[in-house]
Amino acid sequence: MNRRPMFLISCLAFGFAFFYVPILSMIFFSFNKSRLATVWGGFSVQWYGKLFKNSQIIDAAVLSIEIALVSATIATILGAMAGIALARFRRFRGRTLFSGLVTAPLIMPEVITGISSLMLFILMAEWIGWPGKRGFTTVTIAHITFSMTYVTTIVQSRLSSADISVEEAAADLGSRPWQVLKDITLPIISPAILSGWLLAFTISLDDVVITNFTTGPGATTLPILVWSKVKLGVTPDINALATIIVVIVGAGVAAAGIIMHRTDKRREREVQLAIKANG
Amino acid sequence: MKAITRRGAVTMLGGALAAPFVNRGHAGEGVVNIYNWADYFAETTLDDFTAKTGIKAVYDVYSSVEEMQAKMLAGSTGYDVIVLAGIDVGRFAKSGVVAKLDRAKLPGWGNLDPEIMRILSGWDAGNEHGIPYMWGSTGMTYNTGLVEQVLPGADLGSLDLVFKPENAAKLAEIGLSMLDSPFDVFALALKYLGLDGDTTNLGDYDKVVELFKPIRQHIRTFDNENNVSALANGEIGVANSWSGQAVTAQKNADEAGLKAKFSYQVPVTGGPIWVDTFCVPADAPNKDNAHAFLDFMLDPVNVAKCTDYTYYANGNAAAKAHVAPDVLANPAIYPDAATMARLWAPKPFSEEQDRAITRAWQTIKTG
Repeated sequence: MNRRPMFLISCLAFGFAFFYVPILSMIFFSFNKSRLATVWGGFSVQWYGKLFKNSQIIDAAVLSIEIALVSATIATILGAMAGIALARFRRFRGRTLFSGLVTAPLIMPEVITGISSLMLFILMAEWIGWPGKRGFTTVTIAHITFSMTYVTTIVQSRLSSADISVEEAAADLGSRPWQVLKDITLPIISPAILSGWLLAFTISLDDVVITNFTTGPGATTLPILVWSKVKLGVTPDINALATIIVVIVGAGVAAAGIIMHRTDKRREREVQLAIKANG
Repeated sequence: MKAITRRGAVTMLGGALAAPFVNRGHAGEGVVNIYNWADYFAETTLDDFTAKTGIKAVYDVYSSVEEMQAKMLAGSTGYDVIVLAGIDVGRFAKSGVVAKLDRAKLPGWGNLDPEIMRILSGWDAGNEHGIPYMWGSTGMTYNTGLVEQVLPGADLGSLDLVFKPENAAKLAEIGLSMLDSPFDVFALALKYLGLDGDTTNLGDYDKVVELFKPIRQHIRTFDNENNVSALANGEIGVANSWSGQAVTAQKNADEAGLKAKFSYQVPVTGGPIWVDTFCVPADAPNKDNAHAFLDFMLDPVNVAKCTDYTYYANGNAAAKAHVAPDVLANPAIYPDAATMARLWAPKPFSEEQDRAITRAWQTIKTG
C-alpha cells in the first residue's frame, strides 16, 4: 500500500530537484567571494556591489525588461484576438490557411525568423524610409510576431474546451457582441490570457537569436550581453543579476498563480450557485 | 471625456511605437556606434574617449561571429566601428561591407606594429581596411603540476604529448580538452603532420581524421568557453586553447588561492595567429567620429590600458612602453621571439574547404 506514494513522492522530488537545484546553486554561488564556481571563498555580497556599478549590465537588463513588457502586452492583445477568431468564428474563408499561418512561427527555426525579419526591416527602410534605425522598436516587433503565436494557441485551446452555449445564451438574451466578449468570453479566457502574457514575457526576455538579427546601435539586450561575455569569461556578477531576476520573476509568477487560483475558485462557486438556483 | 476613435487609437499606437526612436536615436553629431565583443575594452576606455573628444560612444556587443557576419553582410546596421577577425577583412572588403580607411584622419597610424601589419596585409592587401586591435594565437595550456604527475619530464612544446596515443591515455587521467573550433584544431594538426597548414588538398583532412582516431577516446570535451574555469579549478589538466585563456585561467586560480601553475605553449610544429581588427562599415552613419575613435585607439596609452584589462597583446608597437610590466613579460600574452617564429598566418578557407573541414570535424567529434 505504501509503495506507490513513495514512488510518486520520489518522482516529484526528482522532478523538482531537476528544475530547482541549478537555480539554487546559482543563487548560492552569487554570494561566493571567489571567482571560481567550484571553490567556496567565503560569504560575500561583492558581486552585487560590482553588478550595480556595471552600467552596461544594468542598462541591458532594463532594456530587456522594457522590451519584454511591451512585446508581451501587444502580443497578448493580438494573440487573444486571433485565438478568439480561430475558436469562435467557425466557418470563414481561409480559416485553415489562417490557423496554419498563425502557428507557423512555433515550428519555424529562430534563425529563419530572425533573418527574414531583418530582411523585411531593411527593405522597409528602403521603400518607405521606416525603420530608419533598428533597435528597441524592431526588436519589440520581432518579439511580438513570434510570441503572439503562443498566446493564440493557449487562448484557442482554452476557448475550444469552454461551452459555447453560454455565449449563445447571452446573445439570445439580447447582449450585443461587444457585451458578450466583455462579460462572458474574456472572463472565461482570462487565465489563458494571463499565462499567455507570462509566457510571451519570458520568451522575449531570454531570446538571443532573433534579437541579435533585429537589434541595432544602443540596444544590446541582456541575453546577448551574457553570451558575448563568454569570449573573455563570464564574471559572477551575472549570478547576482540572475538571482535578482529569479526573485522578481518568482514573485510575479506566485502572484499570477494566486490570482488565477482565486478566479477559478470564484467561477466554480458561481457555477455551483447557478446550478442550485436552477435546480 | 472624449471617446477614443479608431483613428485616434491607431495614431496613439503609432506614437507609442515611434517613441523609442525619439529617445534612443543615435545618428547625429556626437555619437560613434561600436560593435564588438563584450568586455573587450578597458573599463574606462569609452569614458576617456568621450571626455577627450565630446563624442558619445555607444557600445554594443555580439554573441557569435556567425550572427555578426550575417548581420553585417545584410547591411545598414547603423554601426560605425566593428571588430572583425583579421582573416575575414579581405572577404568583407571585397563584398563592399567595410570602407577604406582615411589615413589622413589617423595621425597615430605610425604607432602600429610593422610585424602585425605585415601579417594583416596578407588578409587585407595594403592594410587599406583594417587597424589591428588585439592579437593572439592558438596553442595548448598545460597545468604543469598535473602533467608532471602523469608524464614526468614531458616536452610541453611538442604535440607528441597529445597526438601519441600512449601519452594521450596518460593525459586522459588528468583531463584533456580540445577547442570546439575546427579551424584552430586543423591548423595545429596539419602542421603537426608536417603538411601545409593552408592545404587545398582535401585528402589531407582525412589524414587529420586518422590522427584523431586513436586518441578520440581520451578527449574529455570539445569546448571553447568552460575550459578557462575547468583549467583553473583542476577539472582538466590540459586544454587546447587560445593564448589569453591560459592567462585568465592562471589569474582565476591565483585569486581563488589555488597553487596551480599553467604553461601556454605554441607547438614547435607551428600554430595559427589571429588578429582582431577594427573596421569601418561602408554605410557607417558617422564616419568622421569612427575615425576619431580609431585614432584614439591608436594612442599607445589608451590601447595599453585595454591590454592590461583583456590580457591580449595589442598591435601597437609604441604601446609596449605603457603596458604593465608583468603583462609585457608574460609569454602567453606577448610571445618571445622563438614562439613568434612558430606562428603563421593562415589563409581564409574557400567554401569547398569549409564544407570538407566541417564534415571531417563531425567525424572526429562523433569518434
